[in-house]
Amino acid sequence: MPRYVITFSKKGYIKYTSHLDMIRLFKRAFNRSGIFLEYSEGFNPHPKMSFAQPLSLGYTASGELLEFDTKEAFAAGEIKKKMNSNMPGDIRVLDCVQIEKEKRSLAAKCCAAEYRITIPCSGSLPDNTEKAFMAQENILVLKKSGKRKAEKQIDIRKMIRSLNIKERNNNIILSTILDAGSNSNLSPELLIKAFVDFAGIEAEREDIEVHRVQIFM
Amino acid sequence: MNLDRLLKKVEKPARYIGGEVNSVLKDPKDVSLRFAFAFPDIYEIGMSYMGMQILYNILNSHDDIFCERVFAPANDMEEAMREEGFPLFSLETKTPLADFDIVGFTLQYEMSFTTILNMLDLAGIPAKRADRLKSGKKWPLIVAGGPCAFAPEPLADFFDLFMIGDGEKLLPAVCRLREENPTDRDEYLKLACKLPGVYVPEFYRPSYKEDGTVKGFKKLYSGAPDRVVRCFEKDIESLPFPEKPIVPFIETVHDRAVVETFRGCTRGCRFCQAGMIYRPVRERSPETILRYARKQLESTGHEELSLLSLSTSDYSQFEPLVTELQEYCAEKDISLSLPSLRLDSFSFKVLNEIQKTRKSGLTFAPEAGTQRLRDRINKNITEDDIFHSVEQAIRLGWKKIKLYFMIGLPGETEEDLDGIADIARRIVDINYMINGRAGGRFSVNVSVSNFVPKPHTPFEWEPQDTYEDFIEKHNYLRDRLKKLKNVSFSYHDSPVSVIEAVIARGDRRVGALIYDAWQNGCKFDGWSEYFDMEKWEKAFASSGVDKAFYAERRRNYNEILPWDIIDTGVSKVFLMAEDQLAVTTGDCRDACNDCGIIRYTDCPMMSCNAGKEK
Repeated sequence: MPRYVITFSKKGYIKYTSHLDMIRLFKRAFNRSGIFLEYSEGFNPHPKMSFAQPLSLGYTASGELLEFDTKEAFAAGEIKKKMNSNMPGDIRVLDCVQIEKEKRSLAAKCCAAEYRITIPCSGSLPDNTEKAFMAQENILVLKKSGKRKAEKQIDIRKMIRSLNIKERNNNIILSTILDAGSNSNLSPELLIKAFVDFAGIEAEREDIEVHRVQIFM
Repeated sequence: MNLDRLLKKVEKPARYIGGEVNSVLKDPKDVSLRFAFAFPDIYEIGMSYMGMQILYNILNSHDDIFCERVFAPANDMEEAMREEGFPLFSLETKTPLADFDIVGFTLQYEMSFTTILNMLDLAGIPAKRADRLKSGKKWPLIVAGGPCAFAPEPLADFFDLFMIGDGEKLLPAVCRLREENPTDRDEYLKLACKLPGVYVPEFYRPSYKEDGTVKGFKKLYSGAPDRVVRCFEKDIESLPFPEKPIVPFIETVHDRAVVETFRGCTRGCRFCQAGMIYRPVRERSPETILRYARKQLESTGHEELSLLSLSTSDYSQFEPLVTELQEYCAEKDISLSLPSLRLDSFSFKVLNEIQKTRKSGLTFAPEAGTQRLRDRINKNITEDDIFHSVEQAIRLGWKKIKLYFMIGLPGETEEDLDGIADIARRIVDINYMINGRAGGRFSVNVSVSNFVPKPHTPFEWEPQDTYEDFIEKHNYLRDRLKKLKNVSFSYHDSPVSVIEAVIARGDRRVGALIYDAWQNGCKFDGWSEYFDMEKWEKAFASSGVDKAFYAERRRNYNEILPWDIIDTGVSKVFLMAEDQLAVTTGDCRDACNDCGIIRYTDCPMMSCNAGKEK
């Protein structure tokens, strides 16, 4: 039973589908393509298919990863072709490779992700904003966590691996690499909160776009 | 204002984005008629409704017509849209509803009517037809079909045209005619009312007697039919059915492949409107059903298949069909779901196979607690049938039995309520008998709903219980049932069934009630969290509509009823006779009961019982 990884992009209105919607969508696209997945054993069998990282509702992406085991072998290129003809146009399979089976899942292997965050802003930021932001020893933000959604203060500085700011057409564009793994994980939402506060930008959340460029292993 | 900003603010934004697999996208410039199919509830409910998929598929098969979908936005989305002045739009091209040629609502349930007015308002379209005409602007034609269109008078002031009966050919005909007459509304309606099954309310003016009952309908256009005869499709085998139904992104109520096996029902339960207005029974062949099932599963990737009809196991070739479907589904890892089965030995065999690991629970609908009352409502099921089936089910390992009853049925007495408790008690006893006193977990759920007399049924003349009667009966039953171990009781103590009864048998004046209720903020009245009786009470007061007159009054057989303008094909004589019978009437498959339908169309059941003794 071979294992494959596909890289795919997500754009347009389909970004408003959730992680669970994407699981259902891929399952059905595999069915339509006649690519039958291996099922787990047990009382409640489910197809062996998992994403490297869930993508938040509302985000677009260009390098999402999905691994899966099929019942029979296919040429990787054939899977790409079949899936692309059975998917909504705003999801594209960019690549498909067969990989060796190993214990560690994609999700366990990934450690960081690159995001592009576009924030509308009429004025321009001081030149040293990027350096000043990253020079902070601590970046404290409030995070809702636990079952009761209690707010807790956490320091996100160490989870920001890099940050680069560009201004274009009344937009501030942050290119950033954040921890994204099982040991350390930073949601871009917290970075946005911290950055907007720091730079004194008045932007509403619904005007900000987040795009996940790629996931790192 | 862009849609993106709204979508980022609301829950489940994928309700509003369209673009699902198998949805249709055309360039509006390439078509000559744009149709918005409107479902007056949220996406998850509307997308579970097969009728929309059927008509969407048919309309879009015409190159010159583009059918798009629109659903009622959830409350958070509506607030965001109103705040931003963003009008209600179609999912496919995000076009405001006011820019369509025709907006067509499906009328599935009386309690969705305020939501219809709310959707029109959200679209910036005046809800009242008179207001649209007065404005001098060209608005889309507002049309409707579906079961509630069989009693259209309460909505007569809002709609331009109703379609009654099978819509597969009628709806495209109504659209085509508009393409040919795009500008002159009056001329269009005069032509449209001649299509069989079309009711144009402005061509009729009802008048009322002093006692409030209908005196008559005055025709305002002589070319309009005296009565609108429902549109019949004789041969559903040849009607198109979706091979590529839309696959929602988000989870809907029924998220699966569905094939309609037959239309109509031969059982003749006297309370059941569907059993009367969809006569006669017309079946698809097993080959066609299998073909649609295969094509749908291939084109959607669904992992569940279900059959659609009013009574699944009444299909004439049920066993061979199900056997074949089971084989196919087993091979493809698809779960087969068979709703409303009659529990005979074959059904048990099937259920036992398809629910192998998880026996989710079995539902029985005796509807009434004693044989006397079941005979009166023509629910042809005996206590022996029920107990025998329950016994089999328990022996096969089912641990959960659900029972559906109605209260407030014509002729009901205290004995019938006791009968409900009695059936529950005996089922618990059967479990003890089989599994012993310590037989492990076992539950019986008794679910009770309030009877609402419906138009075009034998009970159309019958009074409904008052709200107080219902409460008293609920309390009585609750006291009886709480003494029983392992028995739970569920019911709705909401007066919603009273409102449903008023609207279901309402005349044109009831439109004012619906309008006022909507003005008071009513919408999604079928959702218990939205239903607000206070707002309805205010609307009764302001509209002058008398609740008791519509809900609790026994009608005289000579009375002209507001829905008599619609002819379903079933005769009044038949309905009256049925209303007066205390005994059962047989299944049409065994012998013809002379319901009158053959005056208009062939009844396939006639040939199936040809040669049998009458």
